[in-house]
Amino acid sequence: MLTLNQVSKGFGGVKAVEDVSFTLRETGISGLIGPNGSGKTTLFHLITGFYVLDRGTVHFQNGRISGLPPHKISQKGIVRTFQQTRVLPFLSVLDNLVAAVPGQLGERLFPLFFRPGKVAREEAQNREKAVSVLETINLIKMKDAPAGDLSYGQQKLLEIGRVLMADPELIILDEPTAGINPSLIRNLVTILKDLRDRSIKIFLIEHNMPLVSELCDEIFVMDSGRLIFSGSPGAVHKNEQVIQAYLGRESEA
Amino acid sequence: MDYLYHILIVCLIYAVFAQSLNLELGYAGLYNFGHIAFFGIGAYTSALLSLSGVPVLLAMGIGACLAALAGAIFSLPALRLSGDYFGVATFVFAEMAHLFFLNQRDLTGGPMGLPNIPRPGFTGSGVESLPYFLAFVLGGALVTWAVLQRITVSPFGRALKVIREDEFVAQALGKHTFGFKTQAIVVGSFFAGSAGALWAHYITYISPSDFSLQETILVLLCVVLGGKGTNWGPVLGAFAVVFFGEFVRFIPIPPEYTRFVAPAQGMAYGLILILMMLKRPQGIIPEGRRSRKC
Amino acid sequence: MTAYYAQLLANGIFAGSVYAMFAVGLAMVYAVFKFINFSHGELITWGAYLALMFCSPPFSLPLYLAAVPALAITVVLALAQDYLVYRPLRQSNPIAILIASIGLSYLMRNAVRLFWGSDLRTYELPLSEGLVIMGIYITKTQILIMAAALVFFVILYLLLTRTMLGKSLRAVSDNMELADIMGIDMKKVTITIWVLAAVFAGAGGILVALDTSMEPMLGMNSLIKAFAAVLLGGAGNIWGALLGGMFIGIAENLGMAFISPDYKDFIAFAVIIILLLFKPKGIFGIAGGVR
Repeated sequence: MLTLNQVSKGFGGVKAVEDVSFTLRETGISGLIGPNGSGKTTLFHLITGFYVLDRGTVHFQNGRISGLPPHKISQKGIVRTFQQTRVLPFLSVLDNLVAAVPGQLGERLFPLFFRPGKVAREEAQNREKAVSVLETINLIKMKDAPAGDLSYGQQKLLEIGRVLMADPELIILDEPTAGINPSLIRNLVTILKDLRDRSIKIFLIEHNMPLVSELCDEIFVMDSGRLIFSGSPGAVHKNEQVIQAYLGRESEA
Repeated sequence: MDYLYHILIVCLIYAVFAQSLNLELGYAGLYNFGHIAFFGIGAYTSALLSLSGVPVLLAMGIGACLAALAGAIFSLPALRLSGDYFGVATFVFAEMAHLFFLNQRDLTGGPMGLPNIPRPGFTGSGVESLPYFLAFVLGGALVTWAVLQRITVSPFGRALKVIREDEFVAQALGKHTFGFKTQAIVVGSFFAGSAGALWAHYITYISPSDFSLQETILVLLCVVLGGKGTNWGPVLGAFAVVFFGEFVRFIPIPPEYTRFVAPAQGMAYGLILILMMLKRPQGIIPEGRRSRKC
Repeated sequence: MTAYYAQLLANGIFAGSVYAMFAVGLAMVYAVFKFINFSHGELITWGAYLALMFCSPPFSLPLYLAAVPALAITVVLALAQDYLVYRPLRQSNPIAILIASIGLSYLMRNAVRLFWGSDLRTYELPLSEGLVIMGIYITKTQILIMAAALVFFVILYLLLTRTMLGKSLRAVSDNMELADIMGIDMKKVTITIWVLAAVFAGAGGILVALDTSMEPMLGMNSLIKAFAAVLLGGAGNIWGALLGGMFIGIAENLGMAFISPDYKDFIAFAVIIILLLFKPKGIFGIAGGVR
């Protein structure tokens, strides 16, 4: 699975992530929590190649991924979402999903001209897959609408759909439930549990504590760039350091 | 009638040129302000080869290929730069090309340029050849159109648009953005070079001033007016720009004022760019949003 | 032999100080507004031509007095550009403001052509005497250029480091949103930046035109050097741009010892290429960060 070893990153003197090391459980859902500014999103950027590590390594399935560009890491089976939704507003909902399939034949110029039949067949297959994913995430009715017309919560669901199109091994979600209403959250939780049951590994950042306890099999806690705790949801609530990290923030506020 | 042939030929050549820029600017989102350089490379290469005896069609082909090669070489360092800086790099490249055309006298004829460029054998030469040349250019424009349509209405074109709109998402989806952009530049430069070659063999006399940064605004205008994201938008833009440029000739202007015409036109072009950005940046033909068959 | 190189070096320093003035204006606009102003060259051109206008009848002012209203009008032009075109586009797609700046550049350059024609013009001052200092030939004009540039840079330095306004400028270039929240007067900062950019560009234009001549492409031709200098110095780094400008001026002139004068401009281009290949963030740029 995913192993981090002494991963560190600083920005002009500020240590955003410092000496973080852990290994994810092979299966299930793992959670990353911590107060605002503790370096969680930075860590995700480091894992997925959007930031360059200052120090340390990241390994995935026994292969080193730290130092690779983001598209290569994605091709290795790690697919992510971003904190702000980043659907492509001008493409239709369906096209947003079809575009997300990696390694399409039709994305290469040579096959476009010399293997048009194959390209068309693959495109048809991808469209079918997109339709079935849309049914899974309950957005099938909006399939031809521009993605920009979706509500914020629907866009977040669409992002999950996009991740699914890539048949990932590890899904990295940055605050998947932030800003969406409770009924959609329930929807999302069902989908995530279903993915877990299909043996797709999930690693997510969340602020919604009850949700974290419900979903996660293991939890990592960050504070001020460091990893201060890793363990089960039950143990997290009782850990002194974790409580201090959160309470400390509140009393400072 | 001859005048009509002339206008249509120029419109079609600009249509090819504009579509090539649109691939880079409108689809891939690359700020290429120096596209004229590749037009010029195509023009000079084709002209020089045919003046040394190479058959015109072959010379044109080689000119286009050389322009494509130049595009490939250019993108290697330049694509490391983000947006604005890439724009600067294209600007600088165009200026370098211009300087090269101007100073390599033994090769390019320097400021005097290259006269007596031959027309393709089957069109003949002189005024009688115009209708045949028009047919030839029309054929070229249609081929360009067909090729670019295939490239853009496809998963490749869709991936380009994704890269244009949100490069991070494109990378997160496993697209090798550098590779896509390079291909867009190479293909764009190829067709810019073909347009340049067509121009050289039509006008039969080229000089470095035809390929300065001043000229880059015309093709930019075609794409801005016509809109990004479709292929026929820039074609429409090309026709609009050429017609505007030409219709000014028909306005009766007293001789004391003729020297103001060119600068006034230039001011108008600048003003149109500004107004388009302020009022209708997406261009006159909007980009389609619904699902399309690829 | 060393006298030859020393001469080239001296020429380079003079040329470099003017390039530095152009580059600093461009860098300032980039630092605060985060876009490359393609119409910066036209502020240079207009500065030069406006001074010409005030030197000619009916005003017939001596150049150093003509420079004052010339620069004032150049400032007005820059502020008008910002108010009418750039400000409405600040929240748009970055390409829009770039294309708009190209449009402005075209508009302003052709306006110069319309009013003054395309022929070479000069300030028609008597040919400047030359002095020979330590074996190097220097004209009085060149000394004036150097002195003027120095004065401008000293004033800029004092402005940026000693005044409240200067501190605001630095804060804004660091983080515009934060500066706004902290209560910095964005309007004042905006105006100041354009005033500075216009004055540096316009004055630089007058100096170049004084040394040689002017024609409508004056600014455009200088713009490339300014781009190279800004790239060299790193994104929005004002003092880097200054050093970049000096470097390009010196490199260009020293390079004349090795290549034909026709290709002098190629040196600036070569600098840009080498930078792009090896250090796209510039020599003084910030390393690392998001890919």
